[in-house]
Amino acid sequence: MLVYSQKSFLIVDDFTDFRTSVRSMLREMGIRDVDTAESGETAIRMCGQKRYDFILHDFHLGDGKKNGQQVLEDLMIDKLISHEAIFVMVTAESSQAVVLSALEHEPDAYLTKPFNRLGLTQRLDKLVQRKTLLKPILQALDRGRPAEVLLACDNLCKQDPRFAPLCLRYRADALGALNRHEELERFLKAILANRPTPWAYAALGKLLFKRGQAVQAKEIYEQAIKAFSMMPGLYDGLADVLAAAGETRRAQSVLEEAVRLSPLAVRRQMQLGKLALGNADFDTSSRAYRQAVSQGQNSRFKDPESNLGLAQALIQKNVGNGLDARTRVELNQVLGDVAKEYTDDQGLQVRARLIKATGLAQAGDAETAAKLTEAAVARLENMDQFFSAETALAVAAQLQQLGQEAAGTAILKNCVEVYGDDASVMQSIAKLTDDPTILGAGNEAVDLNRQGVRSYQAGKVGEALEQFRRALALQPKNISIALNTAQALLRMAGENPSSAALEECRACLAKVAGIPNTDPRYERYRKLRIRAVGS
Amino acid sequence: MSNDSQGLDFSTVIASTVHDMKNSLAMLMQAHSQWLSRLPAAQAQGPEQAVVEHEFAHLNGMLVQLLGLYKLGVNQLPMCPDYHDLDDFIGGLLASNQPIIDSREIIARYEIDAFNPLGFFDRELVGSVISNVINNAIRYAGHALLVTVAEQGEQLVLSINDDGPGYPQGMIDRQADYVQGINLHTGSTGLGLYFAERIAALHERNGVRGRIEIANGGALGGGLFQLYLP
Repeated sequence: MLVYSQKSFLIVDDFTDFRTSVRSMLREMGIRDVDTAESGETAIRMCGQKRYDFILHDFHLGDGKKNGQQVLEDLMIDKLISHEAIFVMVTAESSQAVVLSALEHEPDAYLTKPFNRLGLTQRLDKLVQRKTLLKPILQALDRGRPAEVLLACDNLCKQDPRFAPLCLRYRADALGALNRHEELERFLKAILANRPTPWAYAALGKLLFKRGQAVQAKEIYEQAIKAFSMMPGLYDGLADVLAAAGETRRAQSVLEEAVRLSPLAVRRQMQLGKLALGNADFDTSSRAYRQAVSQGQNSRFKDPESNLGLAQALIQKNVGNGLDARTRVELNQVLGDVAKEYTDDQGLQVRARLIKATGLAQAGDAETAAKLTEAAVARLENMDQFFSAETALAVAAQLQQLGQEAAGTAILKNCVEVYGDDASVMQSIAKLTDDPTILGAGNEAVDLNRQGVRSYQAGKVGEALEQFRRALALQPKNISIALNTAQALLRMAGENPSSAALEECRACLAKVAGIPNTDPRYERYRKLRIRAVGS
Repeated sequence: MSNDSQGLDFSTVIASTVHDMKNSLAMLMQAHSQWLSRLPAAQAQGPEQAVVEHEFAHLNGMLVQLLGLYKLGVNQLPMCPDYHDLDDFIGGLLASNQPIIDSREIIARYEIDAFNPLGFFDRELVGSVISNVINNAIRYAGHALLVTVAEQGEQLVLSINDDGPGYPQGMIDRQADYVQGINLHTGSTGLGLYFAERIAALHERNGVRGRIEIANGGALGGGLFQLYLP
């Protein structure tokens, strides 16, 4: 038996008897530093104040409470436990916990109730041995240095090649973090050819999809589900690929399968709600969004989009039939929560009000609906933040439905200006209007931008800058054009940019400061801004 | 629920009841061991105590198996193989049975004769099979129990030996029937073999499936159970 006297333990279980019993087992092992918690929420708070070496966490801590998996995710994402710490998931029935677990964050071990002191000691001894063996890797992980992780893996494998399988996952994660995509792809394929595991399938599917190889990604996920039909994470991946390819019906049915396997997953329920809403399956959509909202209460993945989605699904489900009292109560509740909790988010405030107005109009209260709509439109005019293209289109459609043609058109015009260089956005806009002055508003600027990109790639930066400037003068809020202009300016200015160049750069970035942080270009915007302001 | 109209699905009823029974049993075992720890040594040890411990473990194993069989039936048994330290795995299974082994005055040991310290399998599933076999062996063993792990070509072979009277000859002769689920009339052992075979077969590599085998003789001269994992 190893010496545990200097180690700190945290036992998390909702049963007093169980906590007492484990505590006395630990005492018999000579451990004195033992804390207990009866809920995951308390455990997370305690981990914020003290570094524990060992956490023994019961999986199911009662309905409406965080489960062990959620606590583990919170602790890892918020870096409240070291990679060197040992997290043991205690379960009544481990196969269930495995299905409910997420592939990204696995506990160090599962321990099935009931267990005795000998069983516990033996497990802990072995876990300590393994963590000691992996120590250099775990320390590199704590420091957030993937290159050092790889080096530590190499060293361990050189020391004793028989332990190479323990490094597979660390190595894959590190290659991913270093963006060494080709190498990672070869590595994962080799693992799958030898000993397939669910995590390797999921990692390869995700990598292929991210790199635009959707067909291959789909094949990998399908193969994975055939081999491991009980792992819901694989279904999530397949659904993403299908949805991106426009196969939204199939994507929905795949996600429904995943929800059947493991319904306790906020993001999965939300994604299902969204797909079903798009597929006009309002029953499935409202059910899934309702789950996402209620499970979100005790999850870090709580998202107001679920509230708005639920409200939309409820309204559309009842189109033409008014709204019954129960639905009205639910609508008020979910929209009220958004209005109360996200007071600083203008976009959410506007959208919650518009959806509420749509509901009221449907319930026959035209007068209140009109008042609410006007208030929302007034807020809309003072909004600095851009909607994402998807949201902007939803809001425009809603405004049209509420008889606010002018406000709807304004949103569409704005959307053309901001996202006009994106062909898929333009296609969606064309579904809401056939007004050529709106649809064609961005053409000239988009064309100039395209020429600019070509010149830039050919190394003619000066020419490119002129083209970008002309494009920007036509459509100053277009994110791509503004970023391109800023980049060309900085490139022209070289090592020591003049204050005039920086000034111009800041001005064009300021026009697109409303870029949503969910936009894929957000990171590029942020970096350019640092360069324009910082130097 | 879409199949409300069809009335109760009895296998689902059994499964959810077994799930509750398992939780209930876990509480019972926990309470029992706490109670024991407060008793004076003379009263805490005794032949009844050995029976209680053994039957607790046996009951628990049967419930796990029953749930496993249900999930196999509805195709919902999660299979998630990974690399596991063999020493940890076997040591853990024996450690959790140690109180029973001690109370029966059996000497149990294990030998790992494999080049690789790691094996590739689903820890929970294989663990529940081996645990049941160990529990069974404890019942029939005289004084000794030996678990060995060896490599045979590309396969990993887990063997559980005891020095008891061994399996009935008829069972050894007709083991193919048991593992196919054709003859389950001899009660829990037959069912156990069927479950073990199904779990073994879930482990597959390059077209080779895992399997089980029972025999008499072995290292200790009694019953011998072997699990082959590709």
